[in-house]
Amino acid sequence: MTARIAASWALVGLPLAYGLFETVRKASTLFSG
Amino acid sequence: MSSILSRQRIVAGPGYSRWLIPPAALAVHLCIGQVYATSVYKNALVAHFDTSLTAIGVIFSIAIVMLGLSAAFFGTWVDRNGPRAAMVVSAVFWCSGFLIGALGISTHQLWLVYLGYGVIGGIGLGIGYISPVSTLIKWFPDRPGLATGMAIMGFGGGALVASPLSSRLMALYDPSYDATDPTSVASGSAVAMLFLTLAAVYFVFMMFGAATVRVPADDWKPEGFDPSQLKERAMVTTAHVSANNAIRTPQFWLLWTVLFCNVTAGIGILEQAAPMIQDFFREGGTSAVSATVAGGFVGVLSIGNMAGRFAWSTTSDHIGRKPIYLIYLGVGMAAYITLALIGQTSTALFVLLAFLILSFYGGGFSTVPAYLRDLFGTFQVGAIHGRLLTAWSAAGVAGPLIVNAFLDAQGTPGELTAEAYRPALLTMVCLLAVGFLANLMVKPVSEKHHEPKTETEPEPAAAGVRS
Repeated sequence: MTARIAASWALVGLPLAYGLFETVRKASTLFSG
Repeated sequence: MSSILSRQRIVAGPGYSRWLIPPAALAVHLCIGQVYATSVYKNALVAHFDTSLTAIGVIFSIAIVMLGLSAAFFGTWVDRNGPRAAMVVSAVFWCSGFLIGALGISTHQLWLVYLGYGVIGGIGLGIGYISPVSTLIKWFPDRPGLATGMAIMGFGGGALVASPLSSRLMALYDPSYDATDPTSVASGSAVAMLFLTLAAVYFVFMMFGAATVRVPADDWKPEGFDPSQLKERAMVTTAHVSANNAIRTPQFWLLWTVLFCNVTAGIGILEQAAPMIQDFFREGGTSAVSATVAGGFVGVLSIGNMAGRFAWSTTSDHIGRKPIYLIYLGVGMAAYITLALIGQTSTALFVLLAFLILSFYGGGFSTVPAYLRDLFGTFQVGAIHGRLLTAWSAAGVAGPLIVNAFLDAQGTPGELTAEAYRPALLTMVCLLAVGFLANLMVKPVSEKHHEPKTETEPEPAAAGVRS
């Protein structure tokens, strides 16, 4: 069950992490000029 | 209803972990959250159909209106048939919307995009949005704010994923398109291919959600959870109110007003975010904020919107739903006033206030299912939530109308100064004040609206008979 929970969270967590990373990268222009 | 999709077939057996439910809900919400990433291909569709931005913007507006209407109309059906059936139906509608939209783009028929992505996709949005809500609340009776916060955070996150992914896919399908160049526009066929790709990927993801989701057994409760503790909070009921009775209570319409005001105020910033930051820091016709930096500001707001959905909703489990809305609306008013009066004095202050306002906007969405649970019980909370989402549709129309009416009277956004935004921002303060008062008036629901007490909780399946 633990492996299934980890795999399920990874399946949704990885795309979310990608989106967050890309957004933070874009948002960083606000602070770097 | 085919048996494999029925509520009875997805009752969790012993040992099933409730921590599998949030990823199932997230899988659906991450996909339907794409609706907030339509700006990525907006210019491409304007060029492809040789039409105006307004005509393309209508696609998004139809989808949001259909979201509210379908959530309201199908809420009882979702509660009766369970989350798996709802997720499958949502996936079919949402992905069909993309397929019909792609056909419309390929054949140069804009009405097909309205029908496909707007109407049919919008129905998928509404059913998908409410599909996991009542299930999450039942799995997490001890922390409903955390549970709905996780799922509805996915709706905000969906745009974060779809936006860069769509840019990359369009660049792949149209080599002449440069996603890093704001003046570059992808071809219509690249957008059509993007729609086909998203339909396939989202269908697989949503099927994962449908396959994973389960409803708890009637006698299940989390380890160490004592339902009698809920009675200790005056605003949390252990009774149940049907969806049909809920809409006859003042509490429903007060919450409708709260959500409408909070969403309209958030849209006030979201609608004009990029030109707004440039206009606030304009001197002598030149802005100190470049278009690239303004794009970064939009990214910061997206993060605020997503983070607020999780953080504020989780906080509401500890301080209560009514107090958290007093914060959203009260502190939101203070933030809006400060923004309107001295926001132009510092970029950091401007960004901080806008971030806070957008986090309240997101928090308002994710906390409302738990607020409904507190007031109306778990019996038909999904259907009640669906009906409440008509406030979102109304705000989606009213918010841009209010902001654009004020700004159009001042000139063209992107060529204005901070003073030009003051009337629109102060109007948002008035709206938040109305929401604040509405929230103050929320009291526990009268017993005359409660369902008759039985040995066990009334089954949603009975709702169709009773209501």
